[in-house]
Amino acid sequence: MAANFNLPGQSDSDSPSLNDQSLFSRSGNRSLRVAEKERRKNEAEDPFVLALKYFSEVEAGTPVYGNDEVERNLVVVEKAAYSRGLSPEAVSVMLEFAMSLRMGTTLCARVLKCLIPATVVPQEAVVRAVVWLGVGKIPTSTQVLFIKWVLTMFDMIDAKDQLRAIYGFIFSFVTDENLCPFICHLLYLLTRKESVYLLLSPQGRQPFVMHLLSLYKVFCPELVTLSIPSRMRSGFRNHNSPWKSALIGIQKRNGSQVAPSISLALTVKDKGSSRKRKHGHLQLPALSSVVNKEAAEPSSLRKVVPLMQLHSFTQLLENMHQIELPAQMGSLLGSSLALQYLDCVQDESAFLRLNFWLGYALHEEFLFCGDGGTSQTSEEALQFLNRLLSTQHFLQEGFSSSEVFLYKFLSVWDGSLLRPQILGLLSNIPVVPSSRIGQLLFEPLMQLFLTSSIFFKCGLMECLNNVLLKWLNWHSVYALEDDWDISLNSHTSINMTLSGFKDSVMELVHFVGRLASLGLQLEGCHSLLLSFILDFYETVCDTFLKYGLPLIVMPPPGVFYPALLATDPVSVDRLAYIMYRWGFFIPMLQSAVNLSGCTYWQAFHISRQTFREFNQYLLFMVSCLLNSKMMFQPGVGVQLNEELLLKSNVPQYWTRFSLIHHPAFMSYAVDFHQKCWPGKKDMDLNSIKNSKMWGWYLDYLFTQGYDGLKHFVQGNISWKSAPADIQQSDSLSASTVEVHAQLS
Amino acid sequence: MISSVRTPTNSDVVQRRSKSKSYRLSYRSGLGAASRLCPTPALTARRLNTSRKAPKSHNITEKVSPEHLGLLVKTEWQLSYVTPLYRFRHTQLKSYSRQLSAFIAAEKQQGLAIEVERPQSSFRVSFSVVQGMVGADDDAESVLMQIHSRPLFARQDEPQQLVWKGWLTCVNGNPEYLRSLPKDFTCLPLLGSSGPEALTTVVKLWFQQTFDCCFGHLEISHTSLQWLVALWTNCHTECGIQHLKMNWTLPVAPPLQVTYTVDPQDAWVLWSSVRKDKLEVEDEEDNVDIDEVVRFIRGLKSHFYRHFQLDLSAGCLTQVSTALGSAKHSGRIKISNSRYMITTLMLLTECALLKMPI
Repeated sequence: MAANFNLPGQSDSDSPSLNDQSLFSRSGNRSLRVAEKERRKNEAEDPFVLALKYFSEVEAGTPVYGNDEVERNLVVVEKAAYSRGLSPEAVSVMLEFAMSLRMGTTLCARVLKCLIPATVVPQEAVVRAVVWLGVGKIPTSTQVLFIKWVLTMFDMIDAKDQLRAIYGFIFSFVTDENLCPFICHLLYLLTRKESVYLLLSPQGRQPFVMHLLSLYKVFCPELVTLSIPSRMRSGFRNHNSPWKSALIGIQKRNGSQVAPSISLALTVKDKGSSRKRKHGHLQLPALSSVVNKEAAEPSSLRKVVPLMQLHSFTQLLENMHQIELPAQMGSLLGSSLALQYLDCVQDESAFLRLNFWLGYALHEEFLFCGDGGTSQTSEEALQFLNRLLSTQHFLQEGFSSSEVFLYKFLSVWDGSLLRPQILGLLSNIPVVPSSRIGQLLFEPLMQLFLTSSIFFKCGLMECLNNVLLKWLNWHSVYALEDDWDISLNSHTSINMTLSGFKDSVMELVHFVGRLASLGLQLEGCHSLLLSFILDFYETVCDTFLKYGLPLIVMPPPGVFYPALLATDPVSVDRLAYIMYRWGFFIPMLQSAVNLSGCTYWQAFHISRQTFREFNQYLLFMVSCLLNSKMMFQPGVGVQLNEELLLKSNVPQYWTRFSLIHHPAFMSYAVDFHQKCWPGKKDMDLNSIKNSKMWGWYLDYLFTQGYDGLKHFVQGNISWKSAPADIQQSDSLSASTVEVHAQLS
Repeated sequence: MISSVRTPTNSDVVQRRSKSKSYRLSYRSGLGAASRLCPTPALTARRLNTSRKAPKSHNITEKVSPEHLGLLVKTEWQLSYVTPLYRFRHTQLKSYSRQLSAFIAAEKQQGLAIEVERPQSSFRVSFSVVQGMVGADDDAESVLMQIHSRPLFARQDEPQQLVWKGWLTCVNGNPEYLRSLPKDFTCLPLLGSSGPEALTTVVKLWFQQTFDCCFGHLEISHTSLQWLVALWTNCHTECGIQHLKMNWTLPVAPPLQVTYTVDPQDAWVLWSSVRKDKLEVEDEEDNVDIDEVVRFIRGLKSHFYRHFQLDLSAGCLTQVSTALGSAKHSGRIKISNSRYMITTLMLLTECALLKMPI
């Protein structure tokens, strides 16, 4: 029965497996055949392929009731259809199976309901099914269901030419009272001017008929004599079909390679299209010139050149003073030439317009979307944010609207959605006043940090490092322009004094210290995280030398000790570098503070506590690495009970973190030992300790690229000759000298 | 207090010393400026007013022409928020009418083949100022838009019909916000539209391209709806509200819709009992406080619980209607009595300003 209706263009079997088999049995290539066999074996085991095979081959008249096999196979197909949609071949097979009524009418409707295409619907399959409709055994309700299915999938049918070719055939169903509304709708979608001549008008004055007729009248007014009522309600009802939601779901999952429009023509107000429209806000407006010229003030009579007419940088320069901004500022984001102009334009309104648009787009996309559909749009959102980032990068400044957006978004962010982009945006935020920084930035970030993966932690550390760099750059720009002792930008709308700025930076550094300590604890002193943290502290220790901001904040013990006792030499080396920089910078700063009585410096009063902290670190580090001692100063930092250390049964525990025995450097010590005494069987690392060997060992380490260590050791030794006049009671010099005394 | 997020000031422009500075600062105004203006800046703390004046029966017919009022009341409007309009001039309305007509015609021709055949069925747009529909001096005058069209298959002599109408308004907008905008911007944050969706889309598109603004959907939040319940009930003695009907949605599976209709007199008694203690304390300022609203709603809920053993607190208020008007969560509002229109529009203006991106 199925074979009677082979139409041209339709392959004579819907099961590709049979054809393939014969093809490949002829193939002489053995390996190909093996591979193919393997593939086919896999495929043959795939229940979905088996199910399709079953439906394409099942004999007409097979009983349905009590037939477990058909039930099982149908469930497989249904599951596949609802989860990922059916391939075009599968749609053909199932449609053919349903409409041919090979297993009666009951299964027909059920199959139709699960016919959800993954990509497209082959036109031939639809044509065949329409032809089956003419056989006349299908119950009316199922016929209606089928036409509704065609209407829903209309936009997904891969071509329409053959369907239009059987326009007359489809038209003949108009006489069916039940089918008429749906057939009219289908015809409405298919009608071309030439189709109209073929037919007589359908009878009746129902809205759907009138709607079709109105279309005919438009094409061929001479054929339709009927007067069409002037007011017509929307003609075709939007059949709230069972497929739509499933279809949208599948298109979402498949990344919608298909044109997203699945809305029925005319009846546009369905969810699908409103969803589509909703996404429009991430589209950049087109660059267009102002239409409403007369609205502009008449004083500007001089000739203006719309930005869109410029095509090169030279043209931009030539017309610099007569450029007209585009009608929609959002369009600037899409053009590099426009950005160059924006870079030097001083129009406050222009920025405000851009910010309104940008803020609107970000808010609508990420904050106001109630249905949580952000995952579906991620590709679009990704591109948008990347473009925004590159714009901000180009302008070297963040937009205020993206800043406002970020503060709101951070509290709802899961930390993984578009992470690189969001962290990128975050890196660009301007200085936040210290009174609000906790609430706006630290609280949400702390929460995210504690609950997220190591990658997020590293990403956030890098981001905060960038924030600090941006702020310092910003400061150095203004510090150059303004006098030192006046508050920063007092003449502008930003009331950020120098001490206010310092407070913000301090807050940030302390916050990172807290995060870093916690993070290292949570992640077991992960060396990748440690590396990002040390990046940050390298920035911190250079604030004075590179950016002129005299700021001393020591890393907290939670960072210092893990770095010092780390198992990788790079971390220890970097810590040594940081300590060397501090040792370099603190005396400089101190003398500067003492010499100049300037108010600027007073803002940076550095407490003795900071010096004490530094001294302890330095003392511990020197005694540990260089002097083979562990000096825990009472009352500060890390405290370890002597007995506890003895209990560990580590022989000479106090030497375990010298540069010879330190887990990070032990391999170098061994290597060095072997080089010194190539033949020596029993290794005694302690023999490196004698003064001559020790010097060589240090030199050997320095040749391995540990510059931080080199600076640290050399810097500390050279200090011995430092002038005595900076020796203040309990400031740093006293104890460093003590350290050196022990060294020699 | 509502949004005090500031936009850059224009007054500082002339004082700027260096070029690079003004360029930079124009970017970074989101916070610095806000913190200067307002001790508790609004970035994260934006919320509705917690106290507002009790609605007084405005004799609005004296200020607004009855013709305009007739167009405004008894229509259900779909609300949107609008970012400030750039270079919108109330003096240019005639020209805007022409431009929008042409724009609609052009858009239609692109879309539907049907229209190509009948160029004569064009659209006529008219913009007009609604005099008097403002709350304070800072508010820009409201604008009413009407689109007339001749139906598709009408005869030539048939008159054009009103197919779409909409208005842009700002009633008692936060003065701090309004003043912070440079003078090139006109803030009319609330759009009500009524008519085919397609036309709304085209009108919005034209506004976007002409005034560089953006339109977003404006829902009426749970809290705003509660405010409306209270404010409308408060009017009962002056102007009978006939019924107080609330729709609640409870998050059970399947979602349970509850329609709760209260006798106006009962509602009024409950409302005055909530108000009583307040009235004794300060009589001269007739302010309604959020506490009172909360207590009133709580009273209504507990009454409902006593009868039906169903706690509405778990659910969400989605719709309110009285004889004065109706409001839906989806952002549809109908004002049936023009006398209390200003109060309602004030609330909605506030909601719209809350949605402003900066």
